[in-house]
Amino acid sequence: MRNKRLLMCLVIAILAFIVVPFCVNAEDKTIKIGAMYPMTGRAGLYGKDSVAAAEMAIDEINGKGGVAGYKIDATFTDSKVKPAYAVRVAKRYITEDEVDFLFGVVSSGVGLAVTEISQQYKTIFIGTDHASTRLTVDNFQPYYFRVSNNTFQSMTAGALYLKELAETKPWKKIAFIGPDYAYGHSQWDEIRYNLDRFGVEYEVVGEYWPKIYAPDYTSYITSILKDKPDVLISGFWGGDTVAFIKQAQAYGLFEKALYFHPDAGGNYELMSAMGAELPDGLVLGARHYNNWPDTELNRNFVQEFKKRTGRFPTYAAEGAYAGIYAIAHAVEVVGNPDDTEALVKALEGLKIKLPEDPEGFTSYIRPETHQITQVMAIGTTMPNEDFPPAKKMLGNWKIYKAEDLDPPAEYIEMKRKK
Amino acid sequence: MTMKPGPKYSAAVLWTLMILGFALVPVLMSSSYQLNLASHVLVWGLFAVAFNMLWGVTGMLSFGQALYYGLGAYFVGLMVEYLGSAWYLPAIGIGMLAVAATSFLLGLLVIRVGGVYFTMLTLAFGQLAWQITFKWYDFTGGDDGIQGITAPGFLQNPIAYYYFLLVLVMLSMWILKRMAYSPFGLMLRCVRQNPERVRFLGRRVRRNQLRVYIVSSLFAGLAGSLMAGIDNSIHTDMFFWTTSGEVILMSVLGGLNQFFGPFVGAVAIIIIEDIVGAWTEYWSLIIGSLIMGMVILFPKGLVGELHHLKLRMMQLKARRSE
Amino acid sequence: MDFSFFITQAISGMTMATLLFLVASGLTLIFGVGNVFNFAHGSFYMVGAYFGYQLVAIWELNFWIALVLAGLGAGLVGMLAESLFLRRIYGRVNEGGFQILLTYCLILIIDDLVKLIWGTEYKSLPRPKGFSGAVTFGDIYLPSYNLLIIAIGVVVVVASWWILTRTRPGKIARAAAVDREMVDTLGVNVPLTMTLVFGIATALGGMAGALAAPLRTVTPGAGIEVIIDSLIVVVLGGMGNFWGAWLGAILVGEVNAFAVAFVPKWASLFSFLVMVIVLIFKPEGLFSPRQVRKV
Repeated sequence: MRNKRLLMCLVIAILAFIVVPFCVNAEDKTIKIGAMYPMTGRAGLYGKDSVAAAEMAIDEINGKGGVAGYKIDATFTDSKVKPAYAVRVAKRYITEDEVDFLFGVVSSGVGLAVTEISQQYKTIFIGTDHASTRLTVDNFQPYYFRVSNNTFQSMTAGALYLKELAETKPWKKIAFIGPDYAYGHSQWDEIRYNLDRFGVEYEVVGEYWPKIYAPDYTSYITSILKDKPDVLISGFWGGDTVAFIKQAQAYGLFEKALYFHPDAGGNYELMSAMGAELPDGLVLGARHYNNWPDTELNRNFVQEFKKRTGRFPTYAAEGAYAGIYAIAHAVEVVGNPDDTEALVKALEGLKIKLPEDPEGFTSYIRPETHQITQVMAIGTTMPNEDFPPAKKMLGNWKIYKAEDLDPPAEYIEMKRKK
Repeated sequence: MTMKPGPKYSAAVLWTLMILGFALVPVLMSSSYQLNLASHVLVWGLFAVAFNMLWGVTGMLSFGQALYYGLGAYFVGLMVEYLGSAWYLPAIGIGMLAVAATSFLLGLLVIRVGGVYFTMLTLAFGQLAWQITFKWYDFTGGDDGIQGITAPGFLQNPIAYYYFLLVLVMLSMWILKRMAYSPFGLMLRCVRQNPERVRFLGRRVRRNQLRVYIVSSLFAGLAGSLMAGIDNSIHTDMFFWTTSGEVILMSVLGGLNQFFGPFVGAVAIIIIEDIVGAWTEYWSLIIGSLIMGMVILFPKGLVGELHHLKLRMMQLKARRSE
Repeated sequence: MDFSFFITQAISGMTMATLLFLVASGLTLIFGVGNVFNFAHGSFYMVGAYFGYQLVAIWELNFWIALVLAGLGAGLVGMLAESLFLRRIYGRVNEGGFQILLTYCLILIIDDLVKLIWGTEYKSLPRPKGFSGAVTFGDIYLPSYNLLIIAIGVVVVVASWWILTRTRPGKIARAAAVDREMVDTLGVNVPLTMTLVFGIATALGGMAGALAAPLRTVTPGAGIEVIIDSLIVVVLGGMGNFWGAWLGAILVGEVNAFAVAFVPKWASLFSFLVMVIVLIFKPEGLFSPRQVRKV
C-alpha cells in the first residue's frame, strides 16, 4: 500500500516535469497565437477540424518562410465549452504566453466571454466559428474580428431564397424549430426581420424550441405535421440536425413540407453521417462547402485537408484556415505582430481571397462591424459520391451577393443603442 | 471520524500560512493569469467548504447547490447590468438575502425527505433554476450570459479586487469553521450519526437541518457573487448540475471529514484541470485516471490521508522514544 | 383536437418514453439492487451505440445480432469497470460520494477512449431492414421502428420483473441489496453477484444505445445527455422498481409530448416540473410503498 502511494506521487512529479518545458516561451521572431476550441463532446468535431485546418495554414505559411520574417506559432487548448474555464485560458495566453492573437472558439457563449478579455487586455481576438450576431453588433469592441459568417448573413440569404421561391412555388405557412438557446432564437428573429424587410408575406403556424442536444424530437415532429407548414425552417447544428432529420424522415415529414435550414444545415458532417439515408430535396446552407465554389483554391484546400486528416472538412475548418491567413496578411502589412493598433487598422481594411470565394470575388472585412463579408450559397441535397462517406451532397446552387447580406445600418444602430 | 480542533497554536499557524500564501500571490507573481487562478481557487474553495457543512458534517448530500451559487452570481450580474456598477456591492448583500429567502423556502420542502431522495430533489430544483435562467433570454441573456460586470471604484483594479475577495473568503471560512466546532456544529454531527438519538434528547433534527441548509446556501451564494467580479462575466453554466457535481468531487477528493479537505480538493482539481488542459487535448482521460487513482489509493481524501500520515509518524516517534 | 392527432402524439411520446425507460432500466437495477449510484450509466449507453455502429456499419453484421452483441459488449465493459474499480470502494465511509466521484471518472475516461477509437465525427445507423416504413390507419401514421421499440420496452419490463421476483438468481440479487452480509453467510458469492448485476445493468444500457442509434446521432458526449433524464425516471418510479421506471418514463414522455403540442415554448421545463411535483408530494417515487421517508 505504501509503495503504491509513493508511486502515485512519483507519477505526479514526473507529469509536472513533462509539463514545465511546454510552458517555457519559444524563441523570438514568432507570431504567437493562442487558440481555444472544443475538442471533446458534441462540438469536438468542429474543434478538431478547426485545429487541423489552422495547422495546415500555419505549415503552408511557415513552409514559404513565414511572413515579414516571422514564423507563426499556435497553441491549441480545449475550451471545454465552459466560459469560465475559457476565460482562464485566455488570461494565461495573454499574460503568461504573451500571445499576439487570441483565436478560435465555436460557442458564442464562450466567444462573448473571451471578447470581454480581449477588450480588457487590448489583444486582438480572431473569431473563426461562432455565429452570434451580438459579437459584431451589440457587444462590438475594437479588438474583435470575425472571419466566418454570422447568423444574420445566413438568414438574409435564407430570406432572399424564400422570396424567390414564392415566385416559382407559392408558399405561405412557415414553422420554425431550433435549439432553445441564443443561437436558435437569433436565427428565428433574424429570418423574420429579413422576410419583413423584403416584404415577403407569411404566416407562422408553429414555433418549437427543443433543448439543445435533446436526443429525441418525435413529439415535435408529430406536432409540426399537425401544423401543416409549407416550409419548415430549422435552426439546429451538428448532431441535432442528424437526429432530427432521421426522426422526421420516419414520419415522412419531408414529403409534406420543405425542409429549409440556411445557417448550419449544409455542413458536411450531416452528409458524412447520414450517407445514403439523407433525403433528396432538402434546402440547406452552410458557411463553406466542399463542392462549391469549384475554384482551384477550394479544391486544393479540401484535398489537402483530406490528405492530412483522412476525412473531408466541415465548415469549421475553413473558418480557422481563413483566420490564420487573415493574421498573416495583417502582419505582412504592418511588418510585425506587436503593434496592436496598427494591426487593427490593417485588419479593418483586409481583403482576402479564401477557399469559399467564387471566381471574381474577394472576401473583405467591414470596418464598422469587423465582420467578414462573403458570398453565400444555398443548395439542395442530391446524389453525389465524390466526397465519401457522403453519398449525397448539395447542388442546384442559389448564390447571393455579399453586399446584400450585411445587416443594414439602421439594424446595427438599433441593436447598439440598447 | 476525527474532527477535533488540534492544539490551538497549530491551527493558528495553519491559518496564518494559508492567508499569507494567498496574500502573497499578487506580490510574487506578476501574471494576472495566476491571480485569476488563485481567485478561482478561493471562490471554489469557499463554495466547497460551505457545501461540506451540508454533506460532510450533517450528512445531507445536495446535488443542487449550484442553484445558490448561480443565484448569487446572477443577482450581481443582473443588478450591475440593469442598474449600473455602483450596485455591485449592494447586490452581493441583496443576493445573499435572496439566497437566504430562497433556501429557507426550498429548504422547508427538501429537508422533509432523506437520503438519496434529498439528493434528487435538490438536483431537480437546481435544474429547474438552470432551465429558467437559460430560457428567460430577454432578462438573463440566456446562454450568452452577462458580460461587462465590473466592480465600482478602486475594486476595478484586479489586485484590489483580489484582496477584497481574499478577506471575504477567509472571513467566511473562519465563520464556518467556528460554526463547525460550536455546539451547533456538534449537533449537526449528531444529526448525521444518529438522528433518532437527537430526537430523544429533545433536539429538533429538521430545524438544525434547515439551519445548516440555509448557512451552506448562503456561502455558496456569496461564492457565486464574488465569481462575477473575477471574470467580469457570468454564464448559465453556474446553475448547471455539473457545477453542483464539481463541489462534490472536490469534497470527496480533499476529504469529507476534514474542515479544509474540500478547500484542498478545490485547489487540486482546479490546478490539475489547468495543467493537464494546457498540456493535452486528452485531458479527460488523464484527469479521469489521475483522480480515479487518488480515489482508490486515498480512501480518506487528500487531507484525511495527510492527517493519517501525521498520526502514524507521531506514533512511530512515540514508540521509538519508549 | 382531433382524435388521430391525439393518437399520433401519444405514440410519439411513447417512443421517447420507451427509450428513456430502456436506459433507466439498467440504472434502476444497479441503483435498487446493487445500491450503486452509477453516474456513468449514460456512458455505457454511448458505448453500446458505438458498438452497434461498429458492428453494423463497419463489419456489416445483421442489425439484430449486432444489437445483442452491443449489449453484451457494454455489459463486459461494465463488469470490467466494476471488478477493477468500483469493488475497491464498497463499504467505505461515505461510499455514496466515492461512487459518484469514481463513476464520474469513468465518464471522463470512457469519453476519451471513444474519441480515440471512433473520432469525433457524428455517426449514424440506418433503420434495420423491414422497419424503415410506417404503419398507417387512416390519418394515423406510425413508423414501424418506433412501434418496435415500444414493443421491446414492454418485453424488457415484463422479463425483468419476472426474473427479479420469480426466479432464484433474481431473489438472490434482491436479497443482496437488502443485506449483503446475510446473503454472504448463506454461501452466496456476493462480489460475483454484484459484478453480474452490474454487468446486466450496463448491458441493458448498451442495448438501449444500440437500439436508439438508428433514430439518434452516435456522438461523443451522448452519454451525459441521457443520464439526468434517466435519473428523473428512476426516482419517479421508485428505485429498483422496473414497473415504476416504465410508468415513470411514460409519464415524462407523455407530459413532454403534449406540452410540445400545446405549450411548445415552455415544453423543455416540464420534465423537471414533473419531478419536482412528484418528489414534493410522494418523495419515495410514484410506485413504491411508503416507507423511505426518514431523516
